[in-house]
Order: sequence, then structure tokens, then C-alpha cells
Amino acid sequence: MKRCRLLLVVLLLAPPPVAAQAPDIPAHPSDLAFEPLSFEPPSAAQHRHTLPGGVVVYIVEDHALPLVDVSVLVRTGSYLEPAGKAGLAALTGSQMRAGGTASLAAADFDEEVAFLAAEISSSIGGTMGQASLNCLTKDLDVALDLLFDMLRRPRFDQDRLDLAKSQTLQGMERRNDSTRGIEGREWGRLMRGDAHFSTRPATRASVESITREDLIAFHERYYHPGGFIFAVSGDVEPGDVLAKLGARLDGWPASSDPVPDVPAPEHDPRPALYGVDKPDVNQGRVSIGHLGTTRDNPDRYPLLVMNDILGGGGFTSRLLTRVRSDEGLAYSAGSSFGMGTYYEGVFRVAFQSRSETVARAAAIVLEEIERIRTEPVSGEELSTSIASFVETFTRNFSSAAATAGLFARDAYTGRDPEYLTYYRERISAVTADDVLRVAREYLDPEQLVMLVVGNLDAVEDGDPDNPDYVLDELASAPLMRIPLPDPFTMEYPVH
Amino acid sequence: MTMQSIRRIALFVLLLLPAAATGQEVRVIEHELDNGMTLLLVPRPGDPNIAAGWVAKVGSVNERPGITGVAHLFEHMMFKGTHAIGTTDIEQDLRIIEELDALKAEIRIEEAHLTELQRLGKIDDPQDPDARSPRHQELLDEFEALLARQSELLIKEDFSRVYTGQGASGMNAGTSYDFTIYFVNVPANKLELWFWMEADRLLNPVFREFYAERDVVHEERRLRTDSTPIGKFREQFDAMFWESSPYSWPVVGWPSDISGITREEALAFFDVYYAPNNLAATLVGDFDPDEAIALAERYFGRLPRGARDPFPPRTREMPQLAEKRMLAHAETNPQVVIRYHSVPDGHVDEPALVVLGQLLNGRTGRLYKALVEEQEVATGASGGQAGFKFEGMFELRGTARQGRTPEEVEQAIYAELERLKSEPVGSRELQKVKNQNAASTFRDLEGNFQLMMQLLIRENMRGWETINTDPPLYDAVTAEDIMRVAGKYFTPETRAVAVYYRKGGAAAEDERFTDLDDEERQQVEQMAGMIRQMNEEQLDQMLAGADQMRSQAPPESQDMVDALVELVRERLAELGGGQ
Repeated sequence: MKRCRLLLVVLLLAPPPVAAQAPDIPAHPSDLAFEPLSFEPPSAAQHRHTLPGGVVVYIVEDHALPLVDVSVLVRTGSYLEPAGKAGLAALTGSQMRAGGTASLAAADFDEEVAFLAAEISSSIGGTMGQASLNCLTKDLDVALDLLFDMLRRPRFDQDRLDLAKSQTLQGMERRNDSTRGIEGREWGRLMRGDAHFSTRPATRASVESITREDLIAFHERYYHPGGFIFAVSGDVEPGDVLAKLGARLDGWPASSDPVPDVPAPEHDPRPALYGVDKPDVNQGRVSIGHLGTTRDNPDRYPLLVMNDILGGGGFTSRLLTRVRSDEGLAYSAGSSFGMGTYYEGVFRVAFQSRSETVARAAAIVLEEIERIRTEPVSGEELSTSIASFVETFTRNFSSAAATAGLFARDAYTGRDPEYLTYYRERISAVTADDVLRVAREYLDPEQLVMLVVGNLDAVEDGDPDNPDYVLDELASAPLMRIPLPDPFTMEYPVH
Repeated sequence: MTMQSIRRIALFVLLLLPAAATGQEVRVIEHELDNGMTLLLVPRPGDPNIAAGWVAKVGSVNERPGITGVAHLFEHMMFKGTHAIGTTDIEQDLRIIEELDALKAEIRIEEAHLTELQRLGKIDDPQDPDARSPRHQELLDEFEALLARQSELLIKEDFSRVYTGQGASGMNAGTSYDFTIYFVNVPANKLELWFWMEADRLLNPVFREFYAERDVVHEERRLRTDSTPIGKFREQFDAMFWESSPYSWPVVGWPSDISGITREEALAFFDVYYAPNNLAATLVGDFDPDEAIALAERYFGRLPRGARDPFPPRTREMPQLAEKRMLAHAETNPQVVIRYHSVPDGHVDEPALVVLGQLLNGRTGRLYKALVEEQEVATGASGGQAGFKFEGMFELRGTARQGRTPEEVEQAIYAELERLKSEPVGSRELQKVKNQNAASTFRDLEGNFQLMMQLLIRENMRGWETINTDPPLYDAVTAEDIMRVAGKYFTPETRAVAVYYRKGGAAAEDERFTDLDDEERQQVEQMAGMIRQMNEEQLDQMLAGADQMRSQAPPESQDMVDALVELVRERLAELGGGQ
């Protein structure tokens, strides 16, 4: 043992090799000098094309590899589902791809796509439908035929639909199993209420009621050229690909029926402490927050920086540094300040911690929210955060597909692409005072909703080593327990 | 900090990629420093970023009983800083580290005594504070006090902070059986920062918080393995399948070793395996190769060559003589995993085995068609060749449909293997797989990051050139080759089978993670953190790449891909409405 230790002493006391640093190598990376990064973001207008029927197509060329991406955004979403048919949009989106086309049976369509080594997909989310194709340049014509066959004439094979419905129903059975799933669901209800499309669950009744005819009708209503925006990228010539798309859209009438706007939730979250009991887990999942703002808010840039310093910036953010690194209370902790496209987003801090330490970790979160509202952030925090936003801005354009997709999505949501030209400037102009101001204005401790999913008894018992932290004392009222709903009807038992 | 988030996703997925004859040649500028370090450069003008990484040609396969998990622990330690990064006072920091080591040496003697008492049945739990001698407790208290003093000097996460503050992103690392890999994306004007940071942690590392990090890894292991229905069985299945090979222990290491590895052992490991003659670095992106070579000479050139080149692991797998079976009752869907001993990466029979696996997989593959659609015996099934550096296996798996048994799934899989042995595969079916390989070759070159990872991993295995020389081999596979390798490797006496029955009564946990083992879970949970920070466009891209990822991931990573896809969808749903 003695000898070992001696050896170690020798090793460790050797002069730090820093001394051997060559003279031209700075002692610390902060002494390095860098050329400014010159980068002009590509212009959306320059890549925008319009087909004779008025369909917008963004094209970004990249001839490095013989591959083409074609993506189409479709004006639809689950918010348009008829009453009692929750689940219809998702099924329509997935069954367009799975259920074959008028000319090809489901298995034959799969086989054709596989033989071409193409990738074709289709989905419908909350506020957007999407279909995409990736193929070798040499196969573009035949692959586009398959894509448009799917878009225009889906077969909605009955057997595939039955299988998908039974899988959806099987999945429902497990709805109350995962604490992650429960947390997401209940957090949504607390923020948006029960009447909003974003919290409307599919149930056994709604899924069982969905018929092939419903899929056909939903598809008919929304899939037409008037609802499409294309993003094309890769090994293409714009003139050529525009002609190919135009030919395939030819004779497909656009519906003039306007699609309703995405509805905003009509719900005011009620600040309180809520809990869902899962006695069999040893980790508590916690969400703390309130409503955020919308994307067009002029305080967008200070808010981005504020949230980044608080909890958005990964390993260097305050929340993660304190909760994870300093106190060792959680594996992950972070925050997001939602700036919604169609309505207010949500400010949310989320972490997981052992049941006993949930209260202590939650107290730290509240402290940090308070701190960012009362003290200016340090110059170093500010510059690290700004640099991170500015220098990672180019990642938005990391590939032709990323660039085309960004342009198309902004067009879909009606965002003026001008912001790309001043983004870095606005971020760089954010000051510590701005951060303090928006933290005061947009973070409101009085409005915080706290949700804990886990073993509530153990969470409330807290940590015997740190008896000062008691969950109920963090809120002004005692914990309100939310029962688990029936996974098939989503009805909540009444106490 | 745990840094191994994308371990298997990137590593195995990329590792097993066949490439196609029609693929285009990847041109790499290769440069070797005097100290033996290899530099692989692919300048690609485009967006102003550089994917930068390096590989240490060391993984758990280079460990031995007693220090299993050390390669992975090292990966953690490499983020703890250097003389210049991570502390406010290096002199005092080093003094404390030395004192901590001295205390730990004495504590180890006390711990050994408690372990002996436990072995003899005199105490139940060597961790029980009441079992400690007064001296033991005193040492522990001193140790704690020293740690508290040290923590006042520490700058937490400094390594990450420096990178982030300069616009670098995606800093991470991964450890596998065969290699350890470190990577980050830097803005094009920050190339020198990368050289500074990476050279500094190789030249002036300070493995501070060693004992704490050991505990972190240990705790992670315990949490994941104990709470993962399949993980703990998979680990035992690995240990059962590999008789004598070092692939028999988990990358994360056995618990006794993780909590026992000493700093001396770790430092000795570093000296051999992190010497420049055992390292290769790759840059892909927007940079000038002459400048990169000059910087490499200046920064990495200072690393002293190791005393000797590391030896490859000595112990080879003993040939298996009889079928092995593991019958497990777990909180999971009834399923079966079948493994055959096959060939290591690069073996002449590997291309045929890989293509054979591809014939089985995917929605239009044989297993799905036969087991899921026609016989309705399984809800999913897949299989594929996994060639490691020194050994290899072919794994197949299937999950029983409700009302069917894992044994029925097993028999249905055997029937498909028998078909492969007796009937030549049709030419269109074979061409389909080759077409997919051809397309994948191009798709894999699309991102700088992907290409960097591929080059590093290939360099670690048989040299980066295989990215150009392997494709013709896969394209040349014939129907006869497939019949031949099926007959040669799918023999009952060389297989091991794990049959999982559902254990009644136990409550399920996070459902999408129940099929994952401890490491995968950890990765997925960390990826969840990354996913939270992605914007819609990045998420869409990830989703778009999911099918491809799934079609290429080895069978054991399918569950993980599924879990990731679900997380991405969930996040997109979150963003789609309100954000």
C-alpha cells in the first residue's frame, strides 16, 4: 500500500505539463482569437416557386449526392376531427401510407417502395399533415408516381385499418402505466383544459366508431392542391422538378372550402399543487409552470435568452447545474418557454427526482425562478447564452432538406421569413436588463401550477436527512390528487 | 455528467452498414503524426460547421475481470477537466486529489475487512454504517470534508461550458465493446478551439471527482438494471452466450468492479490506451485541410507516443458444443431471442450474413411476412448479423402475439432459417436488398456528423478505407452464398436461446422503455433531453430518418429506435399545438 501511494505522489506532484505548453499555445481557450464567422442565411424568396395552380414549392438544390427529398405539408390536423371521432386524423395519415392505393394493393405498394429503396411516409399531427419521399435521383419519376398515387388515391385497405385500430386499442390499455405519459397528459389538461383539441383523447368508443368511410371523407376534404406546400431538395433542377410536380397535380381540383383556423384553448390554468399517485415507482416526475406567450411577441429574443440561462441551455443552465450537478437530485432538469404559433405556449420546468428528494428539488426550482426575476444574470452567463444562439444559428441550414423544410414550415404557419435576417442581431442585442425585465414580466410565481406524478406518500414524506423541505409548504394549498382515468373511456372517477 | 447518450444508436447502426458497389468513393486526406496519431480529413464546403471527433481504440473488450467498466468510466472522466479547465486553483486541487487517494487507500483496507465479514456470513451488508469500525467512520468523515473543500475549487461542467459558449453543439461521447468515441460540432471559425480542448484533455487531464463519478456510474447501473425488466436478463444472457470472450461482460461493467476500480488502475489504463498511437481523429465539414494539419501538428503533436502499442485481447471464444437455453420470467411481453455464433467484422462470410439479415427484416422482409402477417404468431420479428472486432453473432428475435407462446415464435423463426438453407432466394428479393444498400450508401454520406462517425468507427475496426472497399463485397453476394452461410452458421449446437415469459402481478413502468436494457434506457433518457431542445425542423428530420435508422439498426437496437421515435412524436405533438 505504502509503495503505491508513493508512486501516486510522484505522479501527481510532477510539474503540471501546462508548463511544457509550446509558447504559441495559449494557456486557456479564452485567450484564443477567432475570425468572425461569415454566414448569410439563404433567402426564402429566392427559393420560392409557384406552380400554375398556385401551389407554392420551395426548392433547394444540392448536387453532392444523387438523392432527392420531396416533402408536402398539408393544411389539416386532428383539430379538424368531427365530434366523437378522436383518433381519425392520425389513422388517416398513417393509413394513407399503410393501406395501399387505388392501383396497388397495400402489400404491393410496400414492395414497390422497398424495391426502389425509396422512403415514403405520411402522417397527420395536431395542426399539420405531412407526406414525404426520399429516393435516388434516377428513380424520381417512378417514386413521385407512388407518392402522388398515395396522396391522391389512397385505398385505405380494410384489413390494414382493422389491424391499426386494434393496435391503437391495445396501446390504450397501457395508458396509465407510464409516468411520463401520465405527466404529459395531465399537464396538458391543467394548461389547456378538457375542451381543447390538444387534450381530447381518443377512446375505445371513438376509435371503434371510425370507419373506412370516415378516412375517405377526411382525406377527400383536406388532401387537394389548395392545401399543399412543397419542399424539394437535393439533386434536382428547379425547372425539371416543377414540371414533374405540375404534371402530377394537373387535373386535381383545389377545393375552395376554407379550412377553419386552429382554435385557441379557452381555459385559465388554476395555480395549485396537483398530484397523480403511482405508488409503485421510486422516481417522481414533476412539472412546474404556467402559460407562456405567442411566437410574434416582440420580447421573443430576451425570452429565449432568459429561458436558456434558467433551464433551456442543457448542462450549462442554472437548473441543471444546481439540481443535477451541485445537489445530485435529478438526472435531468430543464425548462422551456413556449411561444406558440397559434396561441400561447407554456412555460414549463420539468425534472425527475427520487421520491424523497422531489420536494427539495422543487424548492430549488422555485428559488431559481425567483432568482432570475430578482437578480440580473451575470455577464458570462449572458455572453455564453448569446454566443450559443448566434453560433448555432447556421445549424438551421445544415442541409438542403433542412433549409427547404424550414422555408416550407414558415410559409405554412404564415411566418414572415424576414426574421432569419435579423435573428442573430436581435439575440446579440439582448442585455442583462432585458433578461431581468422579461423574467419579471413573464414569470409569475403566483401563477405557477405544480404537478407531481409518482409515489405521492413517499413524496410528501420527503427526505429524513433534509426535513426542511416539505412539498405542501411550497404551495399555498394542500396537494390535490388527480385520479387515474379509465384508459378506454378516459372518464375520471369522481370522489 | 454522463456522456454516452448516443452510444448504440450511432455506433452499432453505423458499424453494420453495408455499402453498395454503385456508391461513390469517399475521398479522405489521411495524415499521420510522428507520435502515431492518425488524422482523417474530409473538407466539405457548405454550411459553416465542422463535425469533429476522435476515437480511442479501446472498449470493454480490452478490460479484464476486476476492472470491467473502466473504459466506460474513463469516458466519464474525460469530461472532468484539465489543469486549465474545471478548477479555480489547480495546485490546491491536485493536493486534495492526492490526499483523497491516500485516504481512499486506507478506506479500501477497511472495506476489504467488511467484505470478508460478509463472505463469512457475519454481517449482511458491508454498506451498513453500524458495521464500520470507528477508524473507518473517521476516514470516511475526513474524506467527505476534503471533498467539500475540493468542491469549492471546482467549476462544474466547465468543459461543456467553454464549448457551448463558443457555439459548439452536440458534445458527447460513447463507449462500446470495441471503442470509445468523442465528438462535437464546432462552427467553422472555431477549429482551433477543438484542437485546444481535445489536446488539452489528452495532455493535461485531471481526473477529479473520480470516486464520485465511480459512484454515479454505479448508481446509474443499479437503477437501470434493477428497474429494467429485460436489461438484467440480457446482461446474463450475454454472459451465458459468450463462454470465454471479453464480450461476456457488460460495457458498463460489473457492480463490484465499478465500485472497486482504483485511480492507479484507471491511470495505467489511460497511459496505454489513450496514447496517440492508439487514437484517430476525423474532421468533416467546412475547413482548410492544410490549416487542420498544421493545427494537428501543433496541438496533438505534443502528445508523447505510448511506451508500446496496446496488445489485442488475448482470450478467444471457446467453440460452443451444446445448445444453451435461458428461461426467464420478466415484466415484459412474451418473446424469444435466438443467437448463433457467427463471424467478426470483416470476415469473408460477413457480407452474405448481413444480406441474409436484410432479407429477413422490415415490413416486406421474410420474418414480418411469415410470422406477423401469415401465421399471426408474432407482433414483430427481426434478425441480423452483428460483427464485433474480435467475435460475431447472428441474433434473431420475435415477440409473441397475445395467445401465442414464445416457443411458437421460436419454431416459426427456425422454419424461416431452414427455408434459407434449402431454397435459393429469388433474384428480385435479393436485388431489393442490394438496391437498399446502394441507396443507404448515399444516405449515410448526407450529414457531416454521420460521415465522421462512420470513418472513426471503420478506422477503429479495419481502417477507414472499408467505406470504399466493402460495398462491392455486399453487392457480389449470391443466392448460393446465402444458402451456404445459412447452412454453416445456423446449427442448433452453436445457438443460445432466451425465452421470456410474462411475470404476473408486477406493475409496468415507463412502457416504452421496458424493452430496453440499462444502457439503452440511459441513452434514450438522455436523448430525451436532447430532443427537448430540438426545434420542429430538427425533430422532423429525425423522424424522417427513423425508418432508415430502423431498417439499418441491428435487431438489438430496434426497441431503442422505437422508443426514440415515440419521444420525437410526443415532442412534435407538444410543439405542434401551442408552440
